[in-house]
Amino acid sequence: MYFDPVLMIALPLFAAFLIPLLGRVSKEIPKYVPVVMIGFNLYESIMMLPHSMVKPIIVIIAAWKPPLGINLTIGALGNVLALIISLVGFVVAIYNVRFVQKEPTEKYHMLYMLMVAGATGMVLTGDLFNLFVFLEITSISSYALTAFIRDRNGAEAAFKYLLIGSLSSTFVLLGIALIYGTTGTLNMADIAEKIQHVDSKITIVALILLVTGFGVESEMFPLNGWAPDAYSQAPTAIGAAFGGIVVKAGVYALARLIYTIFNFQGVFFFILIMGVITLLIAEMSAIRQKQLKRMLAFSSIGQMGLVLIALGLATVRGVEGGLFQMFNHAMIKPLLFLSAGYLVYYSGSKDISDLDGMGRKKPLLSFFFAFGAFAIMGLPPLSGFWSKFIIISETIRGGFVVVAALALFGSVIEAVYYLRVVGRLYFKQPNESEKTKYVHASAILAMSVLALVVLFAGLFPDMVMSYLKPAATELVDKTAYIKAVLTAGL
Amino acid sequence: MRKAIAVIFLGIIGYYLLATFFNIPFGIARVLDGVGFKYLAMGVPDTGAANVVTSIVVNFRGFDTLGEVTVLFLAATGMGALLHHREPMKRSRQNASIIVKAGARILFPLIIILGAYVFVHGHLTPGGGFQGGAIIASGFLLMFMSYRSYHVNHVVISRVESLAGSTFVIIGLFGLVYGHSFLANVLPLGTVNTLFSAGVIPLIYIAVGFKVGSELTGLLDTMLKTVK
Repeated sequence: MYFDPVLMIALPLFAAFLIPLLGRVSKEIPKYVPVVMIGFNLYESIMMLPHSMVKPIIVIIAAWKPPLGINLTIGALGNVLALIISLVGFVVAIYNVRFVQKEPTEKYHMLYMLMVAGATGMVLTGDLFNLFVFLEITSISSYALTAFIRDRNGAEAAFKYLLIGSLSSTFVLLGIALIYGTTGTLNMADIAEKIQHVDSKITIVALILLVTGFGVESEMFPLNGWAPDAYSQAPTAIGAAFGGIVVKAGVYALARLIYTIFNFQGVFFFILIMGVITLLIAEMSAIRQKQLKRMLAFSSIGQMGLVLIALGLATVRGVEGGLFQMFNHAMIKPLLFLSAGYLVYYSGSKDISDLDGMGRKKPLLSFFFAFGAFAIMGLPPLSGFWSKFIIISETIRGGFVVVAALALFGSVIEAVYYLRVVGRLYFKQPNESEKTKYVHASAILAMSVLALVVLFAGLFPDMVMSYLKPAATELVDKTAYIKAVLTAGL
Repeated sequence: MRKAIAVIFLGIIGYYLLATFFNIPFGIARVLDGVGFKYLAMGVPDTGAANVVTSIVVNFRGFDTLGEVTVLFLAATGMGALLHHREPMKRSRQNASIIVKAGARILFPLIIILGAYVFVHGHLTPGGGFQGGAIIASGFLLMFMSYRSYHVNHVVISRVESLAGSTFVIIGLFGLVYGHSFLANVLPLGTVNTLFSAGVIPLIYIAVGFKVGSELTGLLDTMLKTVK
């Protein structure tokens, strides 16, 4: 039994508006609001799953049927991503309860909840302009959260992100204007049906504008300059949320564009090539990093490169692998970030070289970090293995042997730099400096949940894949999606 | 050299964008197909708002408007978070001349009334919640610039903001409860072109007006206060 899915967006907005009032009643309330609201979203996305797997759930808003009004179109893909976003959002919200000490905490929780709500809106909406509005909500809250520590580096990172982000929003808006100007509609399914009658000289420009715009959020090369700074300068929990939430919504928008809205076969090859370049450049940069969080940021970009390769294959199995990779990345990267945040805190420096011997001083944290590192490298039986295996074998089956070789090469580099850190944690003599503050139980809980999900997905990949298959089919074969929307309420 | 390359590059992008936009048909032919035509045909009879733009913004695409209200709210919240100071800040400007001061006191109530008029009549005449709210904020800006000691109470501002924002969502939820879809227009439409018409549209616009007005006022006050 699920409630109207529009509540997944409306209630967090409502709660965010109310937080200033609730904060006057008691200082304690605001920090629990995101936990409750995102917990509700998690419940909704789990309960909707059996229904959206069969056929897309169409939610009409303001009593106007598509294409007149805005509607939410929750297919298998949107539902799976909403589940990922809510799960990561919920876990990070639990972590936030004790983690956020810096004033104004109330505003932090408002911004964080709106970021999650915006990303949820992006994956659920069936309207192109609505997608833009939620992109704005997601990215503006991310800019503010990046600079939340209010130091010089944070401000610089946020400003960089703000510049690239606003440029990308402008591109997206121009692209939407072109599409609306030529098709006369904003509903994504309706556009997909009408766009074949439009002069391809115009649609290709719209495609370029939109891919560039959403490429920024999905960390595609060369639009990912914001990511390393933003990940490493933002508060730890926000760095974790970027990988699990913001980037996922960006990739969803990109996939929706190239698969559902536009009808260009050539774009898949382009995405494939961009994926390889993104992967290789990111992994080579990651290995040169001296700071732990920057290394994780580059690794995150590399993972997205792998997802882009999978999306560029345009086969059901390939897209399944890509979605599995997104799922893994969304679970593992926050785990790495949260544990790395504490490791950095205890060692008192951001450098990898100061992490020597932490495995003996902080066994639990180091275990979580090592576990995440092994999972993301793709050590069987952890979940990263299955997604990489599917993507690379599909790439070979598609005839792109060179791409597969390069992707494998990237994975080897990844293994090298992760093992380097893990090796330092366990096989070096610890330094003298000692901080005695203990890890909060909420942080342990957050990390354990993520680790358990990763372990579970690794042991039972078939169960995860059974949910990803309809999602991949929805992307590759768009007719069912279009039909579901345009016949809604008839 | 780098600048020259950048300019040439921008020029090429600009040329292609312009050329593409010139290729799109505009005018009557454009209006007659797509959803735009339906909005024009159905806007007045089916939403009860004499102002078609308002019927699109608040009813057909009301969900976007809720999103845009949130974007503004986010901008204000983000600014508040980044410019947060422990001790209260002051404006650095000196007092304005007596002419400005006297004029501001006369104009201020008129500006507020104009702003309120614009958002209350959003469903009848051009303008609406965003415009009315911006006008109200400009009235406060005039007072800030004229009187160094003029203060707004941030507690009140944040309460107005919260209540107005939640009113928007609550109206939407009423639609969900009584009309089977979020933001559905559940109130009677009334006679077109009268003040009490168009169901929930004026209510939403009044909420938006209060929200935008208080938000922009708060933003301006925060940004003008630069010295301790």
